[in-house]
Amino acid sequence: MKAGPSPAWILLRVCVGAVYLFMLGPILITATVSFNASNRSVFPPQGFSLRWWARALSWEWLDPLLFSLKLATLAGLAATLLALPLAFALVRHRFRGRDILVALTLGPLLLPALVTGVGLLQLFQYAGLRDLIGLPALIVGHVVICLPFAVRTIAISLQGMPPNLENAAASLGAPPWRTQANVVLPLVKNGIVAGAVFAFIHSFTDVNLSLFLVRPGEIPINIKILGFLEFGFAPTLAAVSVLTIIIPLVVVAAVQRMTGLGDFLYAERGHG
Amino acid sequence: MASPRALGGDVHPAMGPPVRHLVSAHWLLAAIPALVLVVFFALPNALLLTVSFLKSEAQQLTGEVTLENYRFVLSRRLYLDAVIRTFAIGIAVGALDVLLAYPLAYFLVRTTSRWKGWLIALSLAPLLASVVVRTYGWYVILNRNGVANDALLLLGLTTERIALMPSSAAIAIGLAHALLPYAVLTIMGGLDAIPPNLERAAMSLGASRLRTFLSVTLPLSMPGVAGGFILCFSIAISAYATPAILGGPATQVLATAIYGFMTQLLDWSIGAALAVVLVASSLALLYLASRLGSRQVSL
Amino acid sequence: MGDPALSLVAVEKRYGDTAAVAGLTLDVAEGEFVTLLGPSGCGKTTTLGLIAGFLPLSAGDIRLKGRSVIGLPPFRRDIGVVFQDYALFPHMTAEENVAFGLKMRKVAKAETASRVAAALDLVKLRGLGARRPHELSGGQRQRVALARALVIRPQILLLDEPLSNLDLKLREEMRVEIAELQRALAITTVFVTHDQSEALVMSDRIAVMNAGRVEQVGRSTEIYERPASRFVAEFIGRMNLFPARIRAGAAGLRVVTARGVTLALALPGGIVEPVAVHIAVRPERACVLRKAPAADWLAERGRIEQVLYLGAAHEIRLALEDGLRATVEVTNTGAPLGLEPGMTVWFAAPPEACLVLPAHQ
Repeated sequence: MKAGPSPAWILLRVCVGAVYLFMLGPILITATVSFNASNRSVFPPQGFSLRWWARALSWEWLDPLLFSLKLATLAGLAATLLALPLAFALVRHRFRGRDILVALTLGPLLLPALVTGVGLLQLFQYAGLRDLIGLPALIVGHVVICLPFAVRTIAISLQGMPPNLENAAASLGAPPWRTQANVVLPLVKNGIVAGAVFAFIHSFTDVNLSLFLVRPGEIPINIKILGFLEFGFAPTLAAVSVLTIIIPLVVVAAVQRMTGLGDFLYAERGHG
Repeated sequence: MASPRALGGDVHPAMGPPVRHLVSAHWLLAAIPALVLVVFFALPNALLLTVSFLKSEAQQLTGEVTLENYRFVLSRRLYLDAVIRTFAIGIAVGALDVLLAYPLAYFLVRTTSRWKGWLIALSLAPLLASVVVRTYGWYVILNRNGVANDALLLLGLTTERIALMPSSAAIAIGLAHALLPYAVLTIMGGLDAIPPNLERAAMSLGASRLRTFLSVTLPLSMPGVAGGFILCFSIAISAYATPAILGGPATQVLATAIYGFMTQLLDWSIGAALAVVLVASSLALLYLASRLGSRQVSL
Repeated sequence: MGDPALSLVAVEKRYGDTAAVAGLTLDVAEGEFVTLLGPSGCGKTTTLGLIAGFLPLSAGDIRLKGRSVIGLPPFRRDIGVVFQDYALFPHMTAEENVAFGLKMRKVAKAETASRVAAALDLVKLRGLGARRPHELSGGQRQRVALARALVIRPQILLLDEPLSNLDLKLREEMRVEIAELQRALAITTVFVTHDQSEALVMSDRIAVMNAGRVEQVGRSTEIYERPASRFVAEFIGRMNLFPARIRAGAAGLRVVTARGVTLALALPGGIVEPVAVHIAVRPERACVLRKAPAADWLAERGRIEQVLYLGAAHEIRLALEDGLRATVEVTNTGAPLGLEPGMTVWFAAPPEACLVLPAHQ
């Protein structure tokens, strides 16, 4: 029935190609710079060398990288754990103050993380908890900004459940805890995993909140790179930057094989 | 990642109550995360608000209530400029992102290619890279010896290398690049909400593809476009890394000013005041977005 | 014992000021198939929810075999439920779905396996046990839901419009299958539907509900041929209604039509004084005549507006002289009808086909 793409569609494809180029170009450029033989961050690259990568994999950079991984894992898990009861309460129950709780839950997503970071710094300072600034404060801050992601994905899972399932289980003789364990939890599993993944990535890539809660020796990799960038643009930084993309990429790819993350990114798609 | 969509809606109503009243065990469990949010989100913000009305002297907080902090911020050229620059960049970023995202979003929603899933993933992949990574690439492109200058010289638009950065324009481009995926997601959501039969109806009534797009699709996708604009705007005004890297001391924005006051000048009262200005703007934008019918996020 | 299998005693369910169900009293005998029939919003699904224990009662009592179940949660009532959307567990196979209730009752593995196989056999799904719900058609899912509810041998089987999502042919088939299954297993069953032909075919007794109340309970024949109220008369099948009055005359109370003709019709019980009534005639019990009928027949003159061909019958729509409309259904015998739109004819019904109903309820 269709006679081949119309000129308008072809034009659209060209535009789309240009946009993809715009989107991915700078990232690819960063990658190529990391292989640059010369000392300068230029494009097109001059020669090929792996020495910047050697430096990127040295302890100087691996240490903050591992720190970020540790932070993201801890914060991601904690956020997901806390998100479970919260999502259940918000989706399944009506109670006074629910609207406030919704606002509180979505708040960290909607208000600038920068401000939350500033606020937390002040909080710890004025509460005399200066010593907690560093990993403990970072964990707390990251949990707060990652919580909304986990709550959202779990809520999407819950709402996608056919409404009579729990009644069906009850009618078949399942007491409430068995219903939750045998029927609800297996169906919410995907939402939980997606939530954990989004929380992890959000924590790993965060800059604005971490900015205010670092302490020497306890610095996430992105803040470290940022610090160095303000002095110069050595290709080592390019290599390190590429390294920081690989980890989230691997995590997403691994999880996508097991459970479909796409359903949670794009809740619009025909889900209830 | 805020995408506009209200979660909810059954097809068949449940025979028993689909919604129960809070059972005591659930109450207890949900109270823990609620407490965490109150103490580590609501409290800090409330603290900021309070501190912004207190005077700081010699880097120490006094108990004196004052409006001096706000007066300072809004009267000093340097900081007023920063605020104005922040919003100007925000508008530019919002507009640029919406313009660039629309064709991509339209394509992704309408294409029947078997690579559709991959293409969507590709358009969102930049979100996996932190802002620092993405901005680095722009440094390479926009600096004096970079690709942009090469291109300008090649096209004969300039005769010598110019400093494209640090500048507000560079910040705007860098931010637009970083926030593009958000606009794509939001506009895709808006387009997806249009029932496909509407376009078929228009064409059956004699409208060409272009007319259908202009009279039906475009107007109906406006909530998504507005949402995308507002989302990018609100993230842009609170951005730190990109303005820090692609801008300089002469191109301060709200975020860099806040950072300066909090960590270098150590005047936390003014820092707090600036932060309150930022939050107030974000809240105003949220309100605007909801009035425009573009649902950002809801549960 | 003499207790009915299920007893609803003055059951009431209120939401704020509105009563979804009010004053509902109904007994269901052991092994009986009772249908709750009514339009959407009449409270039939709510009633089912009350019996199952998904909803708490506002007032009244519900007893299973004489024992009140108030306060007993659903998983302790011995019930089996088939939901309108089937509510199959999507993460389990058909077999696992059916086995769920047995698992909850801690039935041994071997026995579970054999009972599940037997149940799937019963609903004609042998061999499909390893499939997941999304790999089954609507009709197959419905059967799994049925098997799941039956395998636990519940005291009471509750079905909430289980056939409404199936297409016509399948619906008609399943109606008969479910009814036969129920008879074979002799399980006390409460069936909810808005489809009156389903109710007529499947039930031992029908309870017609309207706005939270039961208007009439009785066997299919009673409900259809002797509806107690205008609502029931019009809800089941179609009904021609003619306004009339009861007048006191020399021979006692008589029915007088709007045009003043007196007819000797049986009066419904409880009428002792002149009131407004309706004369009700089923379309298939009336006929279209070219000449006026006998004097004791109900007769109204009119014009044929449409003659519709229904396959098994003809439906003749008339516009009567006093502005009323009437419908007559004539079985298709194969012979030419001889009736065309525009003809002037008589709508006629013999006295035994006429029912007198109170005008206001």
